Amino acid sequence: MPSQAQILPGTLDLLILKAVSLGPLHGYGVLLRIEQISGGALLVEQGALYPALFRLVRQGLLKASWGTSDNNRRAKFYELTAAGRKRLREEADGWNRLATAIASALNTQAEEV
Amino acid sequence: MSLASSLRSVVSALFLRSHHENEMDEELRAHVQNRADDLERCGLTPAEAERRARIEFGGHEKFKEECREERGGFWLDTVWTDLRFGARMLRKTPGFTAVAILTLALGIGANTAIFSLLNALALRNLPVPHPEQLVRFGVRSPGDDYTGLSLPMFQEFSRTQKVFASAFAWSGDGVVNVEIDGVLSRVDEFAVTGNFHSDLGAVPEMGRLISPEDVKLDTAAPSQVVVLAYGFWQRHYGGSRDVIGKTLKIENLPFTIIGVTREQYRGVSADAPPEITIPLTAEPLIYGSSDVKKSLARPDSLWLEAAGRLKPGVTMQQARAQLRALWPGIQQAIMPADQTVAEHNRFVALELKVESGAKGASFLRHRFVKPLYVVLAISGLVLLVACVNLASLLLARAASRSHELSVRVALGASRGRLARQMLTESVMLSLGGTVAAFALADWGSLALSDFIVGQIYTVPAGLNLSPDWRVLGFTASVAICTGVLFGLAPAWRAGKEDPHAALQQSSRTLGGGGGLGKGLVVTQVALSLVLLVDAGLFIRTLEKLHAVEPGFRATSVLDVSLFPKPQGYKNLARVSYYRELTDRIARLPGVESAGITHMHPGDLYEWTERMCITGTSGEGYTSDFVMLMPGAFETLNVALLRGRSFTWQDDEHVPRVAMVSKKFAEMVFPNGEAVGQHLDVLTRPKWQNLEIIGVVSDTILYDVHKDRPPTVYVPSMQYGDYMGWSQLLVRTNVPPTSMADPLRRTVESLGHECAMSIKTVRQNIDRTLLQERITAMLSAFFGALTLLLAAIGLYGLMAHAVTRRTREMGIRVALGASRGSVVKMILRETLALVLGGVLIGLPCALVATRLIAHLLFGLSPYDPTTLLFVAGALLSVGILAGYMPARKAMRVDPMVALRYE
Repeated sequence: MPSQAQILPGTLDLLILKAVSLGPLHGYGVLLRIEQISGGALLVEQGALYPALFRLVRQGLLKASWGTSDNNRRAKFYELTAAGRKRLREEADGWNRLATAIASALNTQAEEV
Repeated sequence: MSLASSLRSVVSALFLRSHHENEMDEELRAHVQNRADDLERCGLTPAEAERRARIEFGGHEKFKEECREERGGFWLDTVWTDLRFGARMLRKTPGFTAVAILTLALGIGANTAIFSLLNALALRNLPVPHPEQLVRFGVRSPGDDYTGLSLPMFQEFSRTQKVFASAFAWSGDGVVNVEIDGVLSRVDEFAVTGNFHSDLGAVPEMGRLISPEDVKLDTAAPSQVVVLAYGFWQRHYGGSRDVIGKTLKIENLPFTIIGVTREQYRGVSADAPPEITIPLTAEPLIYGSSDVKKSLARPDSLWLEAAGRLKPGVTMQQARAQLRALWPGIQQAIMPADQTVAEHNRFVALELKVESGAKGASFLRHRFVKPLYVVLAISGLVLLVACVNLASLLLARAASRSHELSVRVALGASRGRLARQMLTESVMLSLGGTVAAFALADWGSLALSDFIVGQIYTVPAGLNLSPDWRVLGFTASVAICTGVLFGLAPAWRAGKEDPHAALQQSSRTLGGGGGLGKGLVVTQVALSLVLLVDAGLFIRTLEKLHAVEPGFRATSVLDVSLFPKPQGYKNLARVSYYRELTDRIARLPGVESAGITHMHPGDLYEWTERMCITGTSGEGYTSDFVMLMPGAFETLNVALLRGRSFTWQDDEHVPRVAMVSKKFAEMVFPNGEAVGQHLDVLTRPKWQNLEIIGVVSDTILYDVHKDRPPTVYVPSMQYGDYMGWSQLLVRTNVPPTSMADPLRRTVESLGHECAMSIKTVRQNIDRTLLQERITAMLSAFFGALTLLLAAIGLYGLMAHAVTRRTREMGIRVALGASRGSVVKMILRETLALVLGGVLIGLPCALVATRLIAHLLFGLSPYDPTTLLFVAGALLSVGILAGYMPARKAMRVDPMVALRYE
């Protein structure tokens, strides 16, 4: 996955969990939702989404069921399980702590040391 | 992941495979469709939108593969796919598959067969309850192999020891004459104490086994009962159930059959069950003792073997320590009073030996385990050669599959996945080979053990060859190691496959894999050399041993065993009887000479005595001791050098006489004349003052491995009881086999004896060379196999190289290279490989031959003839294997070759 190489590992899973936490979505919907909530700043390699979705299902964080999409196509919808919700909370906390720490580190001025 | 969910994913991977595949396809397709719809809404044409959506999505198959991997239960899925694909690939190349499976079947089968035999001989415990509790004990003279006990020793040990729950004894070396309904046969016999059967946990097939009531050690009239082995019962009574209570005759004494042991029962022997078992107390009876009580009570006659069952919690070491502590006291307590000085010294020097009895006694183990380990090493080496060979064949195949593999990499197969695929194929091959190997091993080990046992025992093979966990584990690990070993090279190469290079057609040069392939062939040649040198040395050893002539032509001298008819020796004037017999035989047409002896010429086990000059004291001289009658010297081609030979007048009525071999005369009388001197036999108080009447030439009468030993000959006519049970030696000038019937008829016609077995002395010698014959035979077989494999390997590599270089050859020929030079080039490359292998193999072979030096006879482990011959054989095979592809290369038509791509 060359285009994902710069992104921190595990980020895709976290983004998917967040996207799905806002309501059940099919695969393409997840992609659009991530683009939307990141303000278009994060571009996910489309194919790479599916292995991640399969992985989250296997880990019991997502649950999949077949339904009908807006345009009347049969589609597989993903939604968060209880375990997924818990994991999202933990991961988000962790990420925020990390981001805050890094941000404060990066904002440090010379006279503060 | 929890157990339940992994189980679920495995189950769903197994049963819902196609369902999952369809769903995944649908989901991914829907994604692309949705994207295309969106792009179309942004103003692209439907076709353009579809194209862009596909490009944005990326490698469809790659992600599908990743999804499958993420779904769980994936390994099972891939194993299944790999297996199916592997089976398809193997079916596509039936020739290769057949060769591979055959090679492996031979390699693994040979290893399993030999391991089964080793397992039965050396690793397996006796099939009795708690074999690990059995401990054998006995005494022996220092440096002597034979360990035994006298009955008083055994009784003292049993009475005083506290480490065994019980101890039992037996005498198991007997071969006796048994008469059933008037038919005589030679039978292996065991005589046992009353607790022998119960302590071994033996259960009767029917009737009852020997019990303490049958074996009263203080009896003068032992009970004459006999227990039959299952096999004996089947062979002689056809398994009839009414044998109980019937009578058979052992050495002409009636014994009542009381029971039959089970088929699995083999007593204390790992080789073969005793055919008949009698009470210990009856043993002196059948050897003609007139006073059973006195025979049993002899304190220094070591005719018994003994074992005990350890009490729970007692270790071997504790048992050994206690028995050792008891031994000096026992020795004192039973010390015989009427011994000669020599007998006394021998008695005091006896030392105790205590060892585990779990594996049972085995005559075969003693002689065959070492050679079998060598043969196992050789067959292991053959398998290694086969692995290397298959690796290079697979590598060549992988090279021709390089295009396919590149396409698979380009489509998103991971390298690990490809390597796994190649390994699956090789393990499949090796498993296929193993199945065939099992059938082969079953047959091979049985045939081999039948062959060995048949030469030594009178009964069919009794070795327990049924596969146990050791054999199964051995074969399984050999099979898997083999599969991985020969699959490793191609798998490693498959993992390195570069899609770009391969897709651009890479067949212009020898290219990738060539180096590895060459390395494998060189390894194979080197291994083959090691193996062939060993095989060659074993074959030359046998050849040398065969070439040893014992002083006469062993193929033309017959060795006839004479046995008394019932009551045949009663009131027989033996000297005149044997004189008459010898005369009659010598007059038969085709007979050059005949004579009686009391030994089997060519046998391994000689009769030795310590001799000293009458009137002197000291240690004396060890010498072979042979009893014979007039006529035997002529038959054995032993020449009289000085003095006179025995005549029929040298009987019990005249003073004892002896003849000595030249070597004995030189050893004992270095400065004087032997004839006229007198000798004493040290350990035999009655055999004293033997006058030397003649000196004869040296000869080999026993083991051909040994040099001609100093020998003392005495006329058996002067040793009354020793005259019976003798060997009639007959030298013929017609084919020996044609003499069997006239000989039998002549012996029978005198009414006292019959001829039981008629063999040539060559056959006797061959029997003693069994170990060398088997080693030579098996290593010759393995050597031939290796040579064949080496030829296949070389041919495969060169043929493949030529095919790959067709274009290069074409250009060379087009540019004016002569066809001869193309042939030379290919041959040069082949020879370089073989020479490389030989150069690497030679030092390895020299190290390996040092390990087998003790099994060789008459030649050095660095025997130059063998080395040269083997190197020559490998080079010729190399030239042959290189020439065929070279001829093909020579015929390359430049036009066809250049158009080829």
